[in-house]
Amino acid sequence: MAKRILWLLLLVPVVISFGVEADAQTRREAFDQANRLFQDGRYDSAIVLYERILADRVESASLYFNLGNAYFKQGDIGRAVLNYLRAERLDPRDDDISANLEFARGYTRVQMEGVKLNPISGVIESIIDPVRLNTLAWISSLLFIAFFVLLSLRYGLDFRDAWLRRSAVLILVLLIAASLLTTYKYRHDYLTRRAVLTCDQCPVYIGPSEDLDVELQGAPGLVVEIVDQSGDWYNVLFENKRRGWIRSDLVAEV
Amino acid sequence: MVVSTARLLIFAVLALVVCTGLAEAQKPTSIEASLNRDTIGLDEQAILQVIVSGNEADLPAPQLPTLPKFQVYNQGRSSNIRVVNNEMHVSITYRYLLMPTAPGTYPINNISVVHRNKRYAADNLELTVLDQGQAPSQQLPDPSASTSSSAQDYFLVATVDKTNPYVNEQVTLTLKFHIAVQYYTTPELTQPPTTGFWTEMLGNRAPYYQKINGRNYQVLEVKYALFPTQTGELTIGRALIRTTVASKHRSQRRSIFDNLMNRGDEITVRSKPIVINVRPIPSEGRPANFTGTIGRFDIAAHADKREVEVNQPVTVTIEITGVGNVKSVAEPTIGDLPDFRVYRSSSSESVNKLDDRIGGTKMFEEVFIPRRPGELTIPSLEFTYFNPRTERFETKETRPITIRATGAEGYAGGNGTPYSPPGVSIGSEASDIRYIKQDMGDLRRSGNIILTSPLYVIVNGVPVLVMVGLIVARVRRERLSRDVGYARSRAALKVARKRLATAGGMATVDRTADFYAELHRAVTSYLADKLNMSPHGLTGERIASLLTERGADGDLVNETTEFLEQCDFARFAPATIGKDDIDQALDRAEKLIVRMEGIRLG
Repeated sequence: MAKRILWLLLLVPVVISFGVEADAQTRREAFDQANRLFQDGRYDSAIVLYERILADRVESASLYFNLGNAYFKQGDIGRAVLNYLRAERLDPRDDDISANLEFARGYTRVQMEGVKLNPISGVIESIIDPVRLNTLAWISSLLFIAFFVLLSLRYGLDFRDAWLRRSAVLILVLLIAASLLTTYKYRHDYLTRRAVLTCDQCPVYIGPSEDLDVELQGAPGLVVEIVDQSGDWYNVLFENKRRGWIRSDLVAEV
Repeated sequence: MVVSTARLLIFAVLALVVCTGLAEAQKPTSIEASLNRDTIGLDEQAILQVIVSGNEADLPAPQLPTLPKFQVYNQGRSSNIRVVNNEMHVSITYRYLLMPTAPGTYPINNISVVHRNKRYAADNLELTVLDQGQAPSQQLPDPSASTSSSAQDYFLVATVDKTNPYVNEQVTLTLKFHIAVQYYTTPELTQPPTTGFWTEMLGNRAPYYQKINGRNYQVLEVKYALFPTQTGELTIGRALIRTTVASKHRSQRRSIFDNLMNRGDEITVRSKPIVINVRPIPSEGRPANFTGTIGRFDIAAHADKREVEVNQPVTVTIEITGVGNVKSVAEPTIGDLPDFRVYRSSSSESVNKLDDRIGGTKMFEEVFIPRRPGELTIPSLEFTYFNPRTERFETKETRPITIRATGAEGYAGGNGTPYSPPGVSIGSEASDIRYIKQDMGDLRRSGNIILTSPLYVIVNGVPVLVMVGLIVARVRRERLSRDVGYARSRAALKVARKRLATAGGMATVDRTADFYAELHRAVTSYLADKLNMSPHGLTGERIASLLTERGADGDLVNETTEFLEQCDFARFAPATIGKDDIDQALDRAEKLIVRMEGIRLG
C-alpha cells in the first residue's frame, strides 16, 4: 500500500511536467509570433497574442516587458506603465525594464509634484529594490534552516562549543534582518495594492460618487496605491500623497 | 561823377530788388519752368531751369515728367532766401541738363511741385531737337560750334590707351579740357556714362599749359581707370564740362559797369563718345584654377605662428599683390587637408594707383586648426592670372608652411590618428523605449509567491521538526538514565511480554508447574516494574490494595487476584490441570497485562 502511494507520488510530477512542457512549447511559439508582429509594427495584434499567453495564468518579466512596449507604441501610456511595473516586480534587476518604465512615465500627461520618499523606506527600498521577493525568501529560509541546525546541535545533540553559540547569535541577527526585509518586500509588492491609471479621462473625486467634487484630474500612467474600497470605487493615494476616489474600472492593479 | 552815377544805379537796383521782393513775398507757392533754348542740335543740350518759390523754407523739390528722348542730368540747386518786413520769401532754382538722343519736337509738360497737399504746375514747354549741324546759329555762344570751329577757345578731348582690351583689363580714359579764354567758375565735370565698365577715378593732374596751333591753352586733365566687365562693343559716353567764360559780346571798351553787370557766358563742352571692343580672355591653355584675374600678380603666405597646440588656430595670411583689378581677385583654392580644419576668416584689399595703373594688395586670412600633433605642412597655394602683355596665363605659388602642432591636453589619438575634438555630444536621455525581448524567460504561475507555497513551508518546517525530535529524544534518554522507576515502568510491558513468551514455551502438560510460575512472575513483575517495587513482597492482597489505590476498577482487581490464586493453585496441584486450562491461562495473563497497561500505574 505504502509503496503504491510512493509510486503515485513519483509519477505525478512526471505527468504534470509533460503537460507543462507541451504548454510551454505553444506559449513560446505564441511569444515569438507576437514578437514578429511587433517588429512589423502591428502592435494591436501583438498585444492580443501577449495577452492570450497571460490569460493562461502564467507570467514572465519578458512577457510583461514586451506587452508594455507594444502598449507604449500604441500610445497607451497607462497600460505600458502597468506592464512595466508587473515586469519589474518579477525582475527588479533588469535595466531595460526600469529604463522603459522611466521613459514611459516621462510621457504621462500629468506629473505629480512633490513626490517625496520617506527617508527610511527610501533606504530600505534601495536595498531591496533590485532583489526579488523569492530571493529574499530563500535567503531567509536558508538562515532559518542554519539557525535550527545550530539549535539542534546544541539542544538536540548537546554540542557545547563557544563557536556554536556565536554562530547562532550571528545567524539569528541575520535571520531577523532578512525576515524583516522579506516581510517589507512582500507587503510592498503584494499586500500593498498598487494600481496604474489606464483611463483616458481620469477624474478623481473627493468621495466615492460622481456627484461629488472633482479632487483632481488624473492621467494615464499615474501610479497610485489603493488604500480603501467602497463598492466600485477605490480610495487611491498618489505618489505625492494626494488622495481621492476613482472608479475601479479606470485603474488596473499591478 | 562816375562814382555818384554808380551809387545812384546801385541804389536804384537795390530799390528795385526790394520792391520785387515785396511783390514776391505776397505770392503764394509757385513754380516756374524755363528753357535756355527752345531749339537745339542733336549733339547739343538745353538747360531746364525750374524755380520753386514760396513763403516757407522747406519747399519741396519739383517733379519732372519722364523724358524718354533725353538724358537728364541734375545740375544742382541754388536757393535764395529773403526776409522783408518779417515776411520770408524763398526761391529755389533747380537746373537740369537735357541731352537729346533723337531729333524731333518734344513737349515738356507736367513739371509740378506738391506743397501742403496742393499741386502747383508750371507752364508747358516745348523743345525742338534738330539733326546735328542744323541748329540755327544763335546769339548765345554755341559750344557745339565752338568745339568744331577752328578758332576754338575751349574743347574737351577724351582718349583711351587701348581700344581692344581683354575683359577686366584696365583701360585708361584721359579727359583733357583745353581752354584758352578766361573762365569765371571752376569747370564742372560730368563723368561720361561708362555702362559695362567698373570705373575707378585715377585723379586730377595739376593744370598745365599746352600750345596748340599757336594758341596757349590751359589744360585740365582727369584720368579714369575702366575695367570692362563684359566682352563685345562697349561705348564710353560723352563727358561734359560746364563753366562760365568771359562773354564774347562785351564791348571792346571795358567799363566798370561791364564788370559789374556781365557775369559771363555759361558754356557746356562735350567730348566724343569712344567705342571699345572688349576681347574675351582666351580659353586656350586656360588653367583650371583661373578665376578671371588679369594683370600681373605675386602671391605670398605667412602664418602668425609656427608652433601651436592641436585644436588651436593658426592664422595664415595670403597676400596677392600686383597690377590689375585687385577687387576682382578671388581667393586661392585650398583643397581638403587631412591635417587641418580650415575656416575662411576675412579678406581685405588696399588699392593703389601707380603710374595710372590700378593695383594693390588683396589679403585673405584663413584659420588653420591642426587636427593632430606633429610637423604638419600647409601645402603651397597657387594663383593663376592672365597677363595681357605676354598674352599668357601665369601661375604663382606660395611656399609651403610647416606648422609644429603639439599634443593638447586630453589628446587621445595615436600617431596618424586624426584628432577629433568633441564636436557632438550625446546626452544620456533615450530617444525611444528599449526594444522587446526575444527570450520569454521562465514562465511561472501568475501570482505564485514562494512564501505561501507548500514547498517553502515544508523546507522551513523540517528543521524545526528535526530539532524538536532530537530534543525530545534527548530528554527521554536523559530521564531513562536518571529515573530507575521510569525506566522500569517504560520497560515493564516489554519484560512482561518476554515472560509470557517464555511461559508459552512451557505450555505443556508435563511442565505445568513451571508454566504457571512463569505466568505468575510475569504479572507480578509487570506490576512491580510499573510501581517501581520489589516483586518479592507482592502478595495477592497487596496487589489488590495497590491496584485499588491507583484507581483500577473492582473487576480488574478481582480478576487479578483470582488469576494469581489460580496460578498458585495450579503450581501446587498440577495434576488437575489440562491443556485447555494452560492455553486459557496464557490468554488471560495477556489480557490482564493489556488491561493494566490501560491504566496509569506509575
